[in-house]
Amino acid sequence: MAQVVLKDLVKSYGPIFAAKDVSLTVNDGDFVALVGPSGCGKTTTLNLVAGLIPITSGDIIIGDRIVNDLDPKDRDIAMVFQNYALYPQKTVFQNLAFPLQMRKLPKAEIEQKVREAARVLDITHLLERRPRELSGGQQQRVALGRALVRDPAVFLMDEPLSNLDAKLRVQMRSEIKRFHQDLKATIIYVTHDQLEAVTMADKMAVMNGGLLQQYDTPAQVFANPVNMFVASFIGSPAMSLVPLEVASADGRTVLTSPDGWQLALSDLNARKVESASSRQVVLGARHSTIRLHREKLENTVPARVYTVEPTGDITFVQAFLSGAIVNISLPPSVSVEPDEMVWLEFDQSRIHLFDGQTELALRAN
Amino acid sequence: MTTISETSVPRSRKRVDGWRWTGRIFLALMLLYTAVPMVWMLLTSIKSGFAAMQFPPQWWPSEPTFASYQKLLDPQNSVGQDFLRFFWNSLFVSVCTTILAVAVAVPAAYAFSRFHFPGRRFLFFAVLLRNMFPAVIFLVPLFILMRLLGLVNTHGSLILTYLTFGLPLAIWLLKGFYDNIPIQLEQAARIDGATRFQAFLLIVTPLSVPGIIATAIYSFIGAWNEYIYAATFLTKNEQLTLPVGIQRFFSENTTDFPGLMAASFMMSVPVVVLFLILQKYFVRALTEGAVKH
Repeated sequence: MAQVVLKDLVKSYGPIFAAKDVSLTVNDGDFVALVGPSGCGKTTTLNLVAGLIPITSGDIIIGDRIVNDLDPKDRDIAMVFQNYALYPQKTVFQNLAFPLQMRKLPKAEIEQKVREAARVLDITHLLERRPRELSGGQQQRVALGRALVRDPAVFLMDEPLSNLDAKLRVQMRSEIKRFHQDLKATIIYVTHDQLEAVTMADKMAVMNGGLLQQYDTPAQVFANPVNMFVASFIGSPAMSLVPLEVASADGRTVLTSPDGWQLALSDLNARKVESASSRQVVLGARHSTIRLHREKLENTVPARVYTVEPTGDITFVQAFLSGAIVNISLPPSVSVEPDEMVWLEFDQSRIHLFDGQTELALRAN
Repeated sequence: MTTISETSVPRSRKRVDGWRWTGRIFLALMLLYTAVPMVWMLLTSIKSGFAAMQFPPQWWPSEPTFASYQKLLDPQNSVGQDFLRFFWNSLFVSVCTTILAVAVAVPAAYAFSRFHFPGRRFLFFAVLLRNMFPAVIFLVPLFILMRLLGLVNTHGSLILTYLTFGLPLAIWLLKGFYDNIPIQLEQAARIDGATRFQAFLLIVTPLSVPGIIATAIYSFIGAWNEYIYAATFLTKNEQLTLPVGIQRFFSENTTDFPGLMAASFMMSVPVVVLFLILQKYFVRALTEGAVKH
């Protein structure tokens, strides 16, 4: 196993940057998720690490070697592909044996290693089958087996679960996590599903538009998103973002809405908005930090219910607040109707404030 | 596709049946149209010279004889010598064309499918240029070219010419095939320790065998059947290919129809055999190359 360091990694196609100045360190044994919407550069970054596409500039260091110009085969990596990329003409055994044959291992050793990998992944009974005779979950295991049979320095995984049905995905998610814990493997895992990233990864790298937005533990990314993109991308349902304006009233700093209401800010939050580059500030709040009231209370703001979605243990409510949609979660015992007027109370210690111009999170000076 | 047929079947079962029968009748007529000349060729080839000329014709030869075949395959007499030489010439030219076409088309199609290089689109369509015009248009220019190259009256002139027919389609056919092989397979192979070339050889090539076979059949048949260039470029008797050579059965005085038919039949044998053995690949290649999935 080894650590992976990306230094100012750039991949451009003419004037278009698929990855721009991506720098991050994946510690030995860490599970790092690259997460972002499609086209954000996460798969490009993974392919750069794999050596499947040449880098434009920057450095990739695996272990203690700079691998910029090495062929994929010389980088000591293994990769699991979204479509598994099992060799259709080969049996499962031959698929697992291929990386070892390419390294010219003796036959007996190949046999032994393949059997061991098959045992670990519980696919011994499938060894003589061909990939098309396997179910999606079994193919997934074989793909994983082909990666781990070789004991590489780094595992690269490109959306390995996205072709599975929902139930199997959850199951394989735990298996991959378990696999990581058992092997202490260094894993770089690409996904567009923030839930996968949050549940599996030690650290997550949120990307958008070829740029690395934030690289931290899932808890940190969730609690302290650095900008509006990260805030809205991580968490489900998404964080509600309401554009407002800063003003002062009766000596207090307040946020005002074009709808006419005001929201007084706590001292800490008031200091945060002082650092804003203009009067435009975006209020962010996660569904669980917003309380819904039937009548107007102190420092609550009026909203109109848009949809009500009961999921069983939680009811999600979407409401219009100052022209933006706000997600609120309620216990199922509370019943609200669409188009009902409600009052929302924000938990001042857990709201997020963003600069309306730069979209960056505001920090207290 | 499935949803359309599922919804339309119950509504108009009668009409579909009507179409089906029309289709069957059409197919039957097509079959007759193609099979009758073949059958007649076969029947005539086992008649005696006299019986072949009878009117009204003998539908079934009263005295079937394999004399024509014996004559053609007998290296002792001059007809047999000629026929076997023509056969060999045709085989030589066709096999060389096929091998060269596949050898060039495989890497070319792979490059068109996988690599992005300057002029890729232009080259890809330029490849088709030759096929946009009737073959006869190139007869005289190619003849002049062959004379300059000193290739007139050599089999090389034919092989080169047939490649200009066969290659473009071979490249297009194979490219469609390579396009359908997921690029991740090669990437996986390269990560698993293969060089780019090994990935191509060990992973992609086995998967593209049906496409390569279809391409080979296509080139072979094109070269095997070609007449006009062979008739123009070659004048020496010992170099003629079969399509030109079997004209010799039309002599000044009489035409040896059973001999001609026997020769025609034997000329069609390699093609038919190739098709029977490899037809499943051929169909697969043509459809897989055409349909994205």
